[in-house]
Amino acid sequence: MATANDRSPLAPHAAAEPGARRWRATWLGAIGVSLGLALLAVALVQGRQATLLNQTVTVGDDYVVLTVYQVETEYLRLCNQWHRAIDPRIPLDRDALQLRYDIWISRIGLLHNDRTSRVMFGQADFSDTLRQIDAFIVRADELLGAKPQRPVTRDALEALEPALMALGEPTHGMSLRAAHHVGAQLAQRNVAVRQHNQVGLGLTIFLSALTLAFALISLRQMRQLEQRRAALEELAANLRVARRDAEAASEAKSMFLANMSHEIRTPFHGLMGMLSLLRETGLNPRQIDYLRTATESADHLLAILNDILDMSQLESGRMTLAAAPVDLRALLRDVESLMRPQANAKHLALHIDADPSVPDRVLADPTRVKQVVFNLLSNAIKFSDRGAVVLDLRQAEGAGGAAELEFVVSDTGIGMDDATQAALFRRFVQGDGSRSRRHGGTGLGLEISRNLARLMGGDITVRSKVGEGSAFTFRMPLQMGPEAPSTHGAAGHETVPPPRPLQVLVAEDHPVNRQYMAALLESLGHEAHFTANGEEAVEAMRYRPGGRRFDIVLMDLHMPVLDGVGATRAIRTLPDPAAATVPIVALTADAFSETRDRCLVAGMNDFLTKPVSPQKLAASLRRLFGADALAEMPIEAAPIEPLAPTGAPPFIDNAAVAMALQIMPRERLAAMIHEFLEQGPQTVQRLRAAVRDAQPLELRVNAHAARGAALNLGLAAIAATAEALHEGASHLPAHEIARLVQRFEDLLRLTLEAARAAGLGASAKPAPAAPPAPAASATG
Amino acid sequence: MTTIRRILLKTTGAWLLGAAGPARALDKPAGAVVLTVAGRVRSPNADAVANFDMAMLERMPQTSFTTRTPWYAHARKFTGPLLRDVLSLAGASGSTLRAVALNDYWVEIPAEDVAQYDVIVARLLDDKPMAVRDKGPLFVIYPFDARPELRNPVYYSRSAWQLRTIEVR
Repeated sequence: MATANDRSPLAPHAAAEPGARRWRATWLGAIGVSLGLALLAVALVQGRQATLLNQTVTVGDDYVVLTVYQVETEYLRLCNQWHRAIDPRIPLDRDALQLRYDIWISRIGLLHNDRTSRVMFGQADFSDTLRQIDAFIVRADELLGAKPQRPVTRDALEALEPALMALGEPTHGMSLRAAHHVGAQLAQRNVAVRQHNQVGLGLTIFLSALTLAFALISLRQMRQLEQRRAALEELAANLRVARRDAEAASEAKSMFLANMSHEIRTPFHGLMGMLSLLRETGLNPRQIDYLRTATESADHLLAILNDILDMSQLESGRMTLAAAPVDLRALLRDVESLMRPQANAKHLALHIDADPSVPDRVLADPTRVKQVVFNLLSNAIKFSDRGAVVLDLRQAEGAGGAAELEFVVSDTGIGMDDATQAALFRRFVQGDGSRSRRHGGTGLGLEISRNLARLMGGDITVRSKVGEGSAFTFRMPLQMGPEAPSTHGAAGHETVPPPRPLQVLVAEDHPVNRQYMAALLESLGHEAHFTANGEEAVEAMRYRPGGRRFDIVLMDLHMPVLDGVGATRAIRTLPDPAAATVPIVALTADAFSETRDRCLVAGMNDFLTKPVSPQKLAASLRRLFGADALAEMPIEAAPIEPLAPTGAPPFIDNAAVAMALQIMPRERLAAMIHEFLEQGPQTVQRLRAAVRDAQPLELRVNAHAARGAALNLGLAAIAATAEALHEGASHLPAHEIARLVQRFEDLLRLTLEAARAAGLGASAKPAPAAPPAPAASATG
Repeated sequence: MTTIRRILLKTTGAWLLGAAGPARALDKPAGAVVLTVAGRVRSPNADAVANFDMAMLERMPQTSFTTRTPWYAHARKFTGPLLRDVLSLAGASGSTLRAVALNDYWVEIPAEDVAQYDVIVARLLDDKPMAVRDKGPLFVIYPFDARPELRNPVYYSRSAWQLRTIEVR
């Protein structure tokens, strides 16, 4: 018989169980019924015995024997008294005779009793005897009755004597018959009692057997229950062990996954750094195209790794939120600056709006909030082909009446049906299969976002209709941050001015550029700290030398050891939330939007092209820290472009010089120009070595560095030549490169002359590599 | 259904006093003696015995009940003084009473029976005096119907009829 139990591996003998159980139940039932019947029989037997006994007592058959014997005794006494009365030798004692006679009659009365007649009835001669006695009494009562008709005389007594004597035989027979009858009845009763006893004995034996069987089956049942309980306990123990093992294994896997993704990321950053360096090696357009694809793939892979790391941390419970005061509107601006390029690339409108009722500062983990919002927005952009993506931030009331923040991301994309929505937040599910193929991604993003939202005490919900777009709502409890002094500001920009002066970390490998940035930051009233490459910058953020907290990092993109993009990624994954969320601004000599996107995707907040003017830096700081940060800086109408629009670039770009002079005195600029030009021959040497050794990458890196510094100092011709070298390093013929290097060398001298002519002659020492020049006093 | 009717007369106080108090001379019977209490008797009115005539018994508090007996086909009503009252009046004190009938039948009645049960010396059957041929004139009778434990031959045999003498031992 097939039952569900058959398939259970936990009960191998389950198939036999139901049969055995039924058998036991049947037996128990049968025994129960038998017991009941036996008890009933016992009750019947005992009832009958009781009835029998009662009968004996109440009927008192044996008493009848005594009665009849007494009748005979009294008869004999009466006879005796009668003979004495008729004996002429003895005086007649009438009273004694009367008493005997009355006593005898009183005994005779008992024979008329129902009970006596029941015993004696059926004895053929009993009624005859009674009639005979009654006849005698009628005659005797004439003498001895209550109203005697004749006096008691000897003659009269003598006349009655034969009749009295005639009663002797039947009276004696009556006694014998009564004795015999009662004896027979006793024997009969004894037989009945014996029978009852035997039946009772049998029943008792039967009952004992049944009780024994019942006890045995119960015992067996109990033992089986005990065994089953023990088996279950063992099973439970095994299951507990198995569950512990499984949990340990799962945890080990999560740990392994977390460690692996972390370990993978380190060499991966190296790989990405190398890819970005490879771009500088003068590739042909086709190679550049391949490289772009490789870089995109690498970025995607890095995103996946980050997702996996997040997921494994969420799963192993090691993900912790670091709540800090967050400026929500600044956060939204960061998100916008990150997302706008993506939206622009798909020609989608992007509206990000915060309701005025939303407080400016709240307590939240900014990195994670940003991550969730970023994920929702990038999904919206990914799945929309036209129309707009809108992010609304508003304050709402949650289920418990508590205030909540609601980020609503709605799009005009393809939308989802109910089934898709239901499967949406599950791991590795991405809309539907066809979408995955079209849009790529790990499918972890939404799960991570929802888990993060729940970790924050909120949730993510979705409303969507096929073809009508989707709206994702990210709710989180609103915790007010410390109140910030409100600042007036245009367009509702209210941010907290960081403590002045700002502590600025500049990662820049070129010494001239470092000097330039030092001067620039000094002029803005901030304190600059330098590192020579990306790795040092990460270390500085991680270990904070001297207990210093940096408010912002200015990051050159091209640096040895670890470039700006790699350093940014590393900083963003630092455990200290304050360090991981520090604003990072890219500094670069190229202004390709591609480069810009790469920076923003890597987690940078802004992007400045060299030469970095005070106005540009001030504007960036204002965006990041609010209006007050640079309020006193004059803002120029138009940014100064380093290159003149037409014709050959001048040796000295006056506009750039004018800009530099805003931040430093002329002497200092002159000194910096001289220092740059003094180092020029070394640069030339390195360039020549790179040409000789066919190292286009080396050539590009050096040319690029020279270009950046030259741009900052306004040395336009040198910058142009360096750019030409940078651009042509990989594809120009060797002689052409050699010519450009020569040109670079020539320009060092020419530029020095021009500088002197422009009143930027070195005041201190003349450059040894440069031709001797008259000392020019700095004017100005 | 059995009914027990106890007839309490105004002499209650007197016989209680007689029972509890010191021995006191019992009246001499005026008529024929129907009952003699012999043996350990403290209030004799004759030669070391207490004799009762029917009038003396009639003057005592009467108890009356109806009960079934082995000697009659139906329940009959018996009336007479309580045996313990008779004994008390005679100043009898003993553990065993031997009831002797006119025909010299005797049976021993434990004194506890008299204390425990309302045993009467019946002198009326269905409110009529009993002749000798009607098992009279006195009949020791237990309240069989009121006390089911009495319904057995032991007590039937203790119910002596044609009672003549009680010997207190």
